[in-house]
Amino acid sequence: MKRISCVLFVLLLVCGFAFAGGSADKAAPAADTNSNTVKVGLLCIGDENDQGYTYNFIRGQKEATELLKADGINVDWVIKYNIGEDATCIDANIEAAEEGCQIIINNSFGFEPFMLEVVDDYPDIEFISCTNSASAVDGRENTHNAFADIYEGRYIAGVVAGLKMQELIDNGTITPEEAVIGYVGAYSFAEVISGFTAYFLGARSVCPSVTMLVSFVGSWSDATAESDAALALADMGCVMISQHSDNTTPATAAQSRGIFHTGYNNDMTAIAPEASLISTRIDWGIYFYEAIKAYVNGEEIPQDWCKGMADGAVVMTELNEAIAAPGTAEKIAEVEAAIADGSLEVFDTSTFTVGGETLTHAFALDTDGDFTADSAEAVFDGAFHESEFQSAPYFTVQIDGIKWLNAAY
Amino acid sequence: MSEVRTPLFRLAKREAMSREKIWAIRVGSIIIALILGCIPIMLTGNNPISAYAVIVQGSVSRPIYIRQTVKIAIPLLGCALAIAPCFKMRFWNIGAEGQITMGAVAATFFALNFAKTIPSPLLLAIMFITAATAGGLWALIPAFFKAKWNTNETLFTLMMNYIAIGIVAWLQGGPWEGRKGSQLIPMFDDAARLPEVFRVHCGWIIVLLLVVLMYFYMNKTKQGFEIAVIGDSVNTARYAGMNVGWIIMRTMFISGAISGIVGFMIVSGANYTLYKGVANGVGFTSITVAWLSQLNSFAMIAISAMLAILEKGSNTLQTRLQVPASIADIITGILLFSMLASEFFINYKLIFRGRDKKEVNA
Repeated sequence: MKRISCVLFVLLLVCGFAFAGGSADKAAPAADTNSNTVKVGLLCIGDENDQGYTYNFIRGQKEATELLKADGINVDWVIKYNIGEDATCIDANIEAAEEGCQIIINNSFGFEPFMLEVVDDYPDIEFISCTNSASAVDGRENTHNAFADIYEGRYIAGVVAGLKMQELIDNGTITPEEAVIGYVGAYSFAEVISGFTAYFLGARSVCPSVTMLVSFVGSWSDATAESDAALALADMGCVMISQHSDNTTPATAAQSRGIFHTGYNNDMTAIAPEASLISTRIDWGIYFYEAIKAYVNGEEIPQDWCKGMADGAVVMTELNEAIAAPGTAEKIAEVEAAIADGSLEVFDTSTFTVGGETLTHAFALDTDGDFTADSAEAVFDGAFHESEFQSAPYFTVQIDGIKWLNAAY
Repeated sequence: MSEVRTPLFRLAKREAMSREKIWAIRVGSIIIALILGCIPIMLTGNNPISAYAVIVQGSVSRPIYIRQTVKIAIPLLGCALAIAPCFKMRFWNIGAEGQITMGAVAATFFALNFAKTIPSPLLLAIMFITAATAGGLWALIPAFFKAKWNTNETLFTLMMNYIAIGIVAWLQGGPWEGRKGSQLIPMFDDAARLPEVFRVHCGWIIVLLLVVLMYFYMNKTKQGFEIAVIGDSVNTARYAGMNVGWIIMRTMFISGAISGIVGFMIVSGANYTLYKGVANGVGFTSITVAWLSQLNSFAMIAISAMLAILEKGSNTLQTRLQVPASIADIITGILLFSMLASEFFINYKLIFRGRDKKEVNA
């Protein structure tokens, strides 16, 4: 009994603080009194230190803040870091909503199911799930999806890699058969498959003999596993490493083995100046700007937003001229223009085969919730049309020339 | 006369202390903890008083915050109740994390496969029972080895945690995975979700019932008495004709079953899905709850509420003041450490060399 009274005393003590600080509480949700100030929550799976995925979101957040300021809109950001893809995400969304956020952005794929548990309690708050696909089609007004045509950037990164490998072949450093790419993927997941296929097709468009090995590490972010996978790929004879994972360790692994690398999310040339050629990344600032501006103007935030290179939503980082093959910069400009004007389709079905056959049929959307696409024909007009029916990638075909080393993940 | 070397200070068990003195030590320790807690807050450039205020506001100032706090307290309390009989028996079950996880796995199996075919109340009852059974059986394994071959239960139960978590990691990426490559098990149907009472899942009623039951079990039943005897002396228990091995296994099964029920409440009431971090450290934090409350069921309510307030409040602290989440963990650590230390100073005293001599001379 003594213990109970002891704890009750503590509770009493802290309650005293609650009343003492009561006035501070009222000051907190004052943001929306000024119509040109909007309070936006950004829930992140990591923090800026990953120098990759979340860092890229924070960059977009800062960029959007500047763009909006120029339009006379002030953004009061509430940023929460290191949220798990689990029930803590439910709590984080409730927390952001209760703290007065008018828009809440969930930055990771796995946040969406948890975010959707909260949205009905806050019909006046706009919820955005980046990189996932259920919010756009759930029939709710206040839930949204967003992604970008990152496969376009992957394709160009592939072109840069292909040019480098072709240079190595032409120099006699490697034989045509030795032009093997090693790809460090997170999971055998549509977004990853779409990305590495686009990358491979880009490389093969300029280096016809190229082949690719894909190693899945079973995590979006595991610096050691990513490094180990890259080193193992190098040992299997890969001369080029690329990645769909959050860390920079594949770049340093490539440099340590004297081979080359292209990155994702962030410029990695500073970390691996002798290996990393270029990276591609989504510029989230473009979307944040559009979405927040629409909200402030009383317009609808798009249910499913997806833009590509033509709109600046996908960008290439600076080319590492010191090690890239000559003429790479010109080629990048040429391919960028071709993608922008529609004359080049990344998933042109004449450029790849599946089991020796041309791809003639693939569904884009899953309508019955069994997680297998069952509607919306994506193959038409001689190409697989990625990210047209929904913003999140849906290319899951295993094409010839790419070998999956482990599909366990 | 040869000089006797005494250490600079030594510890001695205290005689019974007056109530006032005990309370002075306890209150003092909390005040010291709150003052020490100011240091990390000030290091982040914030005013400690307003930071403490935010912690309290973030946990109890609005109905939804209170509900969120209760949601955190439910598994802590439930799990502390689960491990109390083991600790009373001096069987160091630090495997509650795994027992929660296995209970959650069993509940999830039915939630995923039978939500459309079995009516909700029946389904929830099945999930409850199978979760309790799974948790109990999981706990029974180390208990069996302890009873049979006297294996070290601390290591055994700890290792079992990682196996349970590994099983969920496999299910998450394998047979129960929703969208391929997503590593996410689909959310439960409404039929497999615990109903809410006062807008918090009814698990709070279950744990409060368990508090009463556990109090009764430990203090008023023969089995509770047997547990206490084994805790005091295994040899006495044997001499009295108790089947120690059997009692160990029975107690661990009960403990694991309650943990399993906690796992069921977490997946069905709070998370609505299963993932490898389902226990989220509850199995370890609840050890602190059980210790601080000295295995008293009713004291556990207050201790788990206090920890839940700190956890929920620190979440708000992070949101409002943009301080790292670890600052709040540090404050929690300081508070718990001080509370444990105060119990130490209530039971023991320090005797310094100088003072000791004076006593001898006198």
